[in-house]
Amino acid sequence: MQNIIVVSQKPSDLGELIAIARRLGEPLILAFQESAVSINEITGYGHKVYRLNSDRPEALYYAIKSLYDSLKPKLIIGPTTKNVKDALSLFAGLYDIPLATDVSSIEDRGDEVIYKRGFLSERVIMTASVRKPAILLVKPKIVSPAEKIGKSDVIDLEVTAGDVKLLERKPKVLSGIKLEDADIVVGVGRGFKSREDLKLALELANLLGGQVGGTRPIAADYKWLPEDAWIGISGKRIAPKLYIAIGISGAPQHMSGVSDSKIIVAINKDKSAPIFKLSDYGIVNDLYKVLPILISRLKARASQK
Amino acid sequence: MELRDIIVLVKASLNPEIVRQNPNGSYDIEYTPLKISDIDRNALEEAVKLKSILGGKVYAISVLTWGPLKTRDKDLRLAIQEALAKVADEAYVVADDSVTPTDQVIVSNIIATLIKAKGLRPALVLAGEASIDESTSQVPARVASKLGYSYVGYVRKIIDIKNGKIIVERDLEEYTEILESPLPAVLSVTQEINEPRPPTLIQIRMASKKPVHYVSLKDLGLEFKMKRTIMDMRVLTITRKQVVIEEANVEKAVDRLLEYLEKEGVLRI
Ligand SMILES: Cc1cc2nc3c(=O)[nH]c(=O)nc-3n(C[C@H](O)[C@H](O)[C@H](O)COP(=O)(O)OP(=O)(O)OC[C@H]3O[C@@H](n4cnc5c(N)ncnc54)[C@H](O)[C@@H]3O)c2cc1C
Repeated sequence: MQNIIVVSQKPSDLGELIAIARRLGEPLILAFQESAVSINEITGYGHKVYRLNSDRPEALYYAIKSLYDSLKPKLIIGPTTKNVKDALSLFAGLYDIPLATDVSSIEDRGDEVIYKRGFLSERVIMTASVRKPAILLVKPKIVSPAEKIGKSDVIDLEVTAGDVKLLERKPKVLSGIKLEDADIVVGVGRGFKSREDLKLALELANLLGGQVGGTRPIAADYKWLPEDAWIGISGKRIAPKLYIAIGISGAPQHMSGVSDSKIIVAINKDKSAPIFKLSDYGIVNDLYKVLPILISRLKARASQK
Repeated sequence: MELRDIIVLVKASLNPEIVRQNPNGSYDIEYTPLKISDIDRNALEEAVKLKSILGGKVYAISVLTWGPLKTRDKDLRLAIQEALAKVADEAYVVADDSVTPTDQVIVSNIIATLIKAKGLRPALVLAGEASIDESTSQVPARVASKLGYSYVGYVRKIIDIKNGKIIVERDLEEYTEILESPLPAVLSVTQEINEPRPPTLIQIRMASKKPVHYVSLKDLGLEFKMKRTIMDMRVLTITRKQVVIEEANVEKAVDRLLEYLEKEGVLRI
C-alpha cells in the first residue's frame, strides 16, 4: 500500500483527514502542534505518529521535508489552513510537487490523482488530474470522521526553524462562538458607519436567537468584531437556516462562505448591489431605517407569544 | 552591495464576479475577462512605501495563466499598465500559449528563472496573499523556495526594514506574530496591510513610456510538461428566489419580509 502523509494541525480535524487517507493507502500522521495538545487524541487511530512540538509553518516545512525524503509518500493530505498552506507551498516549490487547496473529492488513479476543488470563490467546480506525488489540502466536512482503532507509536521529530526569527506571538482575541453551528446568523458589512451601530445587529440577532458575523473588512480591517466572526472564503464557511446580510455588497469572496445557507436575506440601500441577485429576499433601503422597525416588530411578536 | 530593488508579482486573473455558463453547464471561460487580482494592488501600494525607503528600482513580473494571448492581450496589458502606473519602473511579461492554462508549478519556475536570467537582485519580492481566481496562495512560497530566498506569508504590516533585515507582522488563524527575516525575502501581503489608492491620470500617462519586456519560454531556455490537466470546469448554480422589496414605506417593507420568512419557516419567534 502507498504511504500517505497526513498533516494534522488540530486533533479535532484529524478524524476527517484519516478517513480520506485510509481510502487511499497507509496513513502516517505528521502532527504539528504546541506541546500543550494531548498526544492521546492523535495516537488512537492506530497509525504511526511523527510529532513535531511546534506549530510554526517554518518548523512544519523542515518536518515535512525530512519525512518526505525518507518515506517518499505518493500523497500528502492536510487541512486548508494558513499554517499548512504556507509550509507545504514552500516545500512543494522545492521539488515541484503539485499542490491543490480546498479539495472536495479525491479519486486515486495509479500514477495520477483526480480531484475536485472550488474555483472563482467556489462559483465554479474544477476537476483536475495531477501526476503523483501530489499535495491535496482538503475542505472540512467532506467525509465523516474515522473511528479510532487502537494505539500507535510516536516518534518525536527535531527540526530547525530556519532563518526567519519569531520575535513575538500575540494570540487573537476570539469570541469562541461557533458561527458554523448557528441556525440564524446576522451578517454585518461596511454599510454600518461605526462599531457602536453594530448593537442594532446584535439586538436583532438576540431577538431571533442567532449570532452576529461579518465581512472581512469589518472583522480583519476595522476589528469591530473578533476574527472568528469573519465569514467568507478566507474566514468561516457557515450554513444556517437563515442568513441576514446587512450593509453587505455581496462580493464573491464573502458569498462563498454563506452559499450553503437555506434562506438569504439582504438589506442594502443600493438597488444595484450584487447581493440582491444572490439572496432570496431583499429590502432596498437604509439599514438605519429598516433595523429599528424590524427590531420593534420582532419585539412585538415576542411579547405576543 | 546592499539590495535595494523590489519585484512585485502581478496576476491578470479571471474575474469571479463575472461567471457565465455554456448551455451544457460548463464554465464559459472565454467570456470572463481578466483583471488584476485585488490583493496585488495592496502589494503594489506597499511597494510605493518601500521604494521610498530603499531607493531602488521596482520591477513588475506577470505570467499569463489563462490564454490564448490573442484574446487576453488587452486585459493583460491593463494589469501591467496598472503596476507601471502605480510604482513599477519596468515590467517583465511571459505570455506563452504553449503553457496556458498554466499551473502553479510552471508559473513559479518561470518567475524564478526569469529573475535569475535577467540578473535581478531584489531585496524583496512582493505578492498578494491569494489570487481572485484559483486562490491557492502557493506561488509566492514556491518562488522563494526556488530562489533560496527567505519567505513570510500573510504579512499584515511591515514594521521595519534595515541592515539587510525586515521585521513584519504575520497574520495566522489564531495569532499574529512579529518575525524578523533576512533579505532577500519573498513576502505575501494581506488585504489589510494598506488601502490601495488608484493611480493618478498623470501616473497612467507616464506608464505608457515605461519599458515592458515580453520574454518567451525559449528565451529562458524553458520547456515544460504539465503536471496538472484541467478536465472540467462546472458552474455551481445556486438559484435564489431574488424577491426584492422596493417598497418605500419601511413598515410595509418589513412586514412583507416577515411574512415571507414566516412562510419559509425560518423564524423562531
Ligand atoms: C482573496 C480575497 C479574499 C477575500 N476574503 C473575504 C472573506 O473571506 N470574507 C469577506 O467578507 N470578504 C473577503 N474579501 C473581500 C471582499 O472582496 C469584499 O471586499 C468584502 O466582502 C466587502 O465587504 P462589505 O460588503 O462589508 O463592504 P462593501 O463592499 O463596501 O459593501 C458595503 C455595502 O453596504 C451598503 N450600504 C452602505 N450604507 C448603507 C446603509 N446605510 N444601509 C444599507 N446599506 C448600506 C452599500 O450599498 C454596499 O453594498 C476577500 C477579497 C479577496 C481579494
